[in-house]
Amino acid sequence: MTRQSPKVGVYGFTGCAGDQLMILNCEDQLVDLFGATEIRSFLMAKSDNHEGELDVAFIEGSISTEHQLNKVKEIRERSKVVVAIGTCACHGGPQAMKLGEGGFEERYKKVYGNAKITVSKAIEAQPIDAYIKVDLYIPGCPIDKQEFLSAVSKVVAGRHPYLIKSPVCLECKWKENRCILYDGKFCGGPLTKAGCGAVCPSHNLPCVGCWGPTDDINVSSEYQLLKEKGYDPDEVLRKIRKFGGANVAKLLKDIEKKEEAKA
Amino acid sequence: MRELSIENLARVEGHGGISVTLDGKKVKSVTLDIHEGPRLIEQLVKGMTPADDLNVIPRICAICTLSHRYAAIRGLEKALGIKPPEKTQLTRDLMMLGENVESNSLHTYLLALPDFLGYPSAIAMLNDHGDDVKRALRLKKFGNHVMAVTSGRIVHGENPILGGFGKYPSRKALEEIKMKSHELVPDAARAVEIFASLDYPKYSEAEMTFMSVNAPGKKYGFAGDSILISNGKEVDAEDYKKLTNERVVSHSFAKRSLYQDKTFTVGAAARLINMGKRLDGQAADLFKEHYSDAWRKNPLYNNLAQAIEMTWSLEQMPDACDRITALEDPPIEQPTRTTGSGTGAVEAPRGVLYHHYEVKNGLIDVADIITPTAQNLDDIEKHLKLTAERMLAEDKQDEEVRLGLEMVARSYDPCISCATHLVTLKRV
Repeated sequence: MTRQSPKVGVYGFTGCAGDQLMILNCEDQLVDLFGATEIRSFLMAKSDNHEGELDVAFIEGSISTEHQLNKVKEIRERSKVVVAIGTCACHGGPQAMKLGEGGFEERYKKVYGNAKITVSKAIEAQPIDAYIKVDLYIPGCPIDKQEFLSAVSKVVAGRHPYLIKSPVCLECKWKENRCILYDGKFCGGPLTKAGCGAVCPSHNLPCVGCWGPTDDINVSSEYQLLKEKGYDPDEVLRKIRKFGGANVAKLLKDIEKKEEAKA
Repeated sequence: MRELSIENLARVEGHGGISVTLDGKKVKSVTLDIHEGPRLIEQLVKGMTPADDLNVIPRICAICTLSHRYAAIRGLEKALGIKPPEKTQLTRDLMMLGENVESNSLHTYLLALPDFLGYPSAIAMLNDHGDDVKRALRLKKFGNHVMAVTSGRIVHGENPILGGFGKYPSRKALEEIKMKSHELVPDAARAVEIFASLDYPKYSEAEMTFMSVNAPGKKYGFAGDSILISNGKEVDAEDYKKLTNERVVSHSFAKRSLYQDKTFTVGAAARLINMGKRLDGQAADLFKEHYSDAWRKNPLYNNLAQAIEMTWSLEQMPDACDRITALEDPPIEQPTRTTGSGTGAVEAPRGVLYHHYEVKNGLIDVADIITPTAQNLDDIEKHLKLTAERMLAEDKQDEEVRLGLEMVARSYDPCISCATHLVTLKRV
């Protein structure tokens, strides 16, 4: 080998482990992936893990205990590049859908009562960038194989990958699907980042918003269009918050503010 | 006093560790510590529509995603008075066969086998056992493919909905599954051959009780409305709380279950012990050949059970595909009421999974989810303690004891994300 293989770590925090599983689901490329990089740590896949300096850390999941909070900071300190993989790491995921609304203590008590759990102190789930700097976001619930592999091949070579910014609607158009909004059913597509291949609309089902909010430039007019079509903004927010959590709430609030300023 | 601990248990889904406290050779305590953070999912879905709930709850676990979705669908359909059409039922059966092949192949070949052969991972086995690793990847990929064809995506597919599917698999896709599943049976049978030839250490042996669903029509299967117990009893799934009395312990965000004050086991071995006589095809022959009384005492046999079961799952696919193809796509069945309650029980690859729902005026009022790993945790600890005691009595070195403990914990195919999905505490 002419140059040293980049040192890579794959870590998971609170979530379903689906993004790590998607890496293991790259059956055809797995052997190459393990060959082209030096995977120093990947607890879900192997026992011989070594924690030390890393070129790239891939982090899945949200942060929901103090133990995790310390761990994610420690990973940041020894990693040149941190990539958030999956909607939980990028936006907090379903467990963060009520972030900013309060009521966490009460929900926690309903589940665990007053039982003392000593393993670690629980905190309301947050995306990892609530605590550390993130260099790159690859959302998805779970991440898409192709988007991940294409990003990995760029990142480990020290280049910046191309990541999709457009909403699901773009991919839906490419698939020549009939727009679900025509049938009066709310679809999260206009507000949700693409990357899944518009999989739900392609099955005659509305987009559930699992990639989190899009950063497309037109999102503001898309949102206005939804309102004009008669969709209740509260209902839209409630539906799409399931995955985008506080970030989607912030996006919609910003749009509303801009509109108010215009008016 | 000293501690013999495994801080981070590798090659399992989620974050856990094992702590053993020793006083000389005496084992004071053994705990399976769950480090996975809490999520409070059941509280979060309260007030959602059943359709929104179905988007969220599969995210409890990526490996058991379809089991969670299916258990929720069964519970919610009972609550809302929806009777799924035959084609819907058959397509759901096929999707569960896919998940079973995917998960069992991952666990047997790639997560459990490295321990028995002395490697740190399946990737490290490539040089010496390349063909078997490739077999595993082929099986896993195909399992994923079946999940994608039926559910819309490899992980967290949204296609299975209340009363039907957004879109049914095409004739062509089913034809491909039919051909390919047949081709892959030898790869699964090879896993049986490997796991039947291994030495199973006896350190963890103890009396065990097994629970599984009772699949309808006296057939083997992955869903049912009642639960079979290896002591001969049968309990309605609606009475699941009698079987799973949950409690909170300090070393874990996952809850624990006991049945009649005793630990019990769920998973592939439990399914084969309770329903193995209903198998057909090559899987039936393999089960007859390899089943022994040791299965009822030693959790390590769950690996062999998973291998036999995935052979069965592949063998079932051609017929399942034919039957689905023969039927027209039915319209989606609509709810007949907006208030009601229901419990769905399905067999996730790692054991019985319950989703209980109470729906009021079209919104979720109560969600109670009991996962297989949460049910197994007490049983795992029991067998870990015995293993530690017996290995230390034989003066085994710490490293060997650690491996022995890891193998026992891993044999349950624990899904720690699932176990930490969290459950409402109120028990009336």
